[in-house]
This record gives sequence, structure tokens and C-alpha cells, in this order.
Amino acid sequence: MMTNLFSIFDPSTSQSISLNWVSTLLIILSTPYLYWVIPSRLQILIINMFNILNKELSILLSNSKKPGMTFLLISLFWLISMNNSLGLLPHIFTSTSHIMMTLSLALPIWMTIMLFGWLNNTTHMFAHLVPQGTPPALMMFMVCIESISNLIRPITLSVRLAANMIAGHLLLTLLSNSAVMSSLSTTLTISIAQIALLTLEMAVALIQAYVFVVLSTLYSTEIH
Amino acid sequence: MLSRLALRGNHLQHAIPTLSVSQFRLSSSSQPTSPKGQQPATVTAEERDLVNFPRPLRPMYSGKVRLGFIPEEWFQFFYKKTGVTGPYLFGSGLITYLCSKEIFILEHEFYTGLCIAIMVIFAAKKFGPGVSKYLDKEIAEYEGMWNDYKDSSVKSIEDAIAEEKKEQWRLEGQKMLFDAKRENVQLQLESEYRHRLMQVYEEVKKRMDYQVQLVNTRRMLEQKHMVNWIVDSVIKGISPQQEKEALQKCMSDLKSLAASVH
Repeated sequence: MMTNLFSIFDPSTSQSISLNWVSTLLIILSTPYLYWVIPSRLQILIINMFNILNKELSILLSNSKKPGMTFLLISLFWLISMNNSLGLLPHIFTSTSHIMMTLSLALPIWMTIMLFGWLNNTTHMFAHLVPQGTPPALMMFMVCIESISNLIRPITLSVRLAANMIAGHLLLTLLSNSAVMSSLSTTLTISIAQIALLTLEMAVALIQAYVFVVLSTLYSTEIH
Repeated sequence: MLSRLALRGNHLQHAIPTLSVSQFRLSSSSQPTSPKGQQPATVTAEERDLVNFPRPLRPMYSGKVRLGFIPEEWFQFFYKKTGVTGPYLFGSGLITYLCSKEIFILEHEFYTGLCIAIMVIFAAKKFGPGVSKYLDKEIAEYEGMWNDYKDSSVKSIEDAIAEEKKEQWRLEGQKMLFDAKRENVQLQLESEYRHRLMQVYEEVKKRMDYQVQLVNTRRMLEQKHMVNWIVDSVIKGISPQQEKEALQKCMSDLKSLAASVH
């Protein structure tokens, strides 16, 4: 029974030790191991997905791309997408719906990029505060706007992911709650709506992970 | 998974067809692989205990299941005691017990799970064969790449062996050439010998011709000299009385000849 609508996101193990966060490590069980030379079907899917992602990120990183730069980003994508999509299954805790989790992913990335950029290419970073082609009258405001947009990047990255997850789960929970206390025919109709919503949610899980990773890539190309 | 391991005895493992690992093993195992799941004899390190901890073999097909996710071994486990319907009754009884005692609560998560189950079954039935065919094609491509590499290496080595054999055959033919060359050289020597012999003969002939010419010239000179000397002595020996008589004789002969003609 839910005390409030957001209690689905609360840890349901003991108060002192929240073992919920162990669900973040579920990806280790779902990633197939490469003991044999020939990949299995699931491995081929995952390898193909990683190859496509690698190509996309290499295009984005085009001038400053060194071999192996995409590994961190692809692993990040895998972590976030697995956590998101496994959280859709019943009774599995969605760790990426908590800002604690997403901020601990976004903040180090952003902090690294900012510190590296500002300490090493200071004039470059200052120059980026005024984008190319701004009319001179707007330059003052552009500096303000660009610096604020730089500063809120960790918040946007984390909150975007968390809010998407919360919103999706909340909708599903609301629908299911109304299905619990209704007749069979209503339940069937609600189930159809839930199926549509679940399809959307699975897409959102992958897309949000992709967006997170692509934005991190773009932020890192800005400092070059 | 763990239940399967618990129920599965060693005897069952041999019945499952497995893809032997040693086909692709890089270590020195030269024995051919067997189609059944027998452990190939390989060269292994002494630290590894292969009897109690055998290397995992990859099954060719996934384990048999009923209703999509319940392993067949569970049904076999029940079969002896309860027959065919045993596991189904056990399952439905268990579900009824859990639901009625509210141990398994049909809350909002359950309906989400139900929708997910419907989606997964639909997707597996509809897209399953297509996706598996595509993935099997990719796997075959991957395996084909390894096999192609192996086959092309084997082929290149075989070609090298054939080339080597051909070279050896060519060299055998060279042996025939030795005799021909030897004969050729002998012929050349013979012709040179004869040529030189000819030269010697001609030189000798030249010398001898010279000597002959020398002798002939000497004789001619001597003869001429003698003739001249004889003529001179004869002319010297002729007295004027004789000359006059000779002349008169000649004139009378001429007259008689002229008279005979007329």
C-alpha cells in the first residue's frame, strides 16, 4: 500500500541500511561474458549497439578524437539504459530516478570538464562565452546567459534523467492503481493503455541514456 | 539456473550436444574434436584440476522449457511421483496459496508486470524468428570470418607446398639438362678440335706448297738458263761457211716449193 504517490521511489529495505542501491549492479548480471570466441545472439546485439554508438560519438568528437575516448561514454550509456529499462520491471528499484544517483553521474563529468577547461584553456573558455555571430549590442547579455547555462549543466543533466524516470513510473503507477480497484473490463482497457505507455517508457529509457551521453560528449568537445 | 545445476547429474551432460571449445583454442591440442560433449584431451597447466572443475562447454541449443520459462528438468523431477499433471497442479496450488494468503499481493506492480508479460510474449512470438535469423546470420558471419582466416591460411600453406613440389619437379628436369649441356660442351670441344686440326693441315699445306713452288721455280729457271746457254753455244758454234750453205739450201727449197705450187 502506498502512503503517497512517491513512495514507490522510496527504499523498501531497512531504514538504516538501504540495500536498494544494489539494484544498480544488476547490469553485471545482464551483461553476457565473453568466455568463448564466437559471440552468442545477445552478445551480437550488444556489440552491434556499442559499434553504432561508437560511430555516433566518434562523429561528434571528430577533431579531438583519440582511440578509446568513447569507452567511458559507452559504459555510461550501458549503465544508465540498463538501470532505466530494468526499473520498468515490477518490484525492481529504479536507481536513476533518484537525483542522488544521476547527480553523482553528472557532476563529476561536468566538474572535470570545467576544471580542465578553465585551468588549461582559460582564454578559450572565456571566448566561448560569446558565441560566434552575436550582434555587439547583445554581447553583455550573452556572457550572462552563457555562464548561467554552463553553471546549470550538471543540474540539467541529472534532473532531466531523474524527472523522465519519475514521470514515466508515476504514470504507470497511477494507471495500475486504478486497475487494482476496478472491474475486469476496465482492467483490460487500462492494460492496453499501459502497454502503450510501457512501449513509450522503454523508448524513453534508451533515449534518455543516449541524450545524457551525447550531451556529455558535446560538453567535452567544447573545451578542446 | 541453480536448480538445473542441482538436478542435472553428470550423465545428463554427455547427452547434451555441445560445441567443443578446443576448435578455437590456441593452445596445443592436436586431437580432433568429438561431436558429443566429451572433454577433449588437451595440454593443460598442472594447477588446474580438470576432473572436479571441468572447463565450461557451450551448449548448442538452449535448455528445453515448458510454457516459455519453466525448465523441463522440473517436470521430470515430478514425473516419478505425480505423473504428468503433477507440476501443473503444484504450480497452480502454489499460486492460489500465495494469492489467497496475500503473500503475493496483487498490487499496482503486478498489473504492470502483467502488461510487460503480454508485451514480451507478443514480441517474442512476432519478432522472435526474424530477430534470431538476423542474429544467427551475424554469428555465422563472425564464425565465417574466423573460419575464412583459418581456411585461407591452410590454403596458402597448401599452395606453398604445391609450389615447392613443382620446384622440386622442375629441378628434376634440370638433371636432364645436365646431360644435354654436357653433350653440347663435348660437341663444341669436338668442333673446335676439328677446326684447329683443319688449321694445322692448311698451314702445313701452305708450307709444302711453298716448297713445291720453290722447287718448280728453281727448275724453270734452270731450264731456261740451260736453253739459253745451249742456244747461245749453238749460235756461237755456227761458222759463216755453214751459214751460207744453210741459207742457199733454204732458198733452193723455197724455189722448188714455189715451182710445185704453180
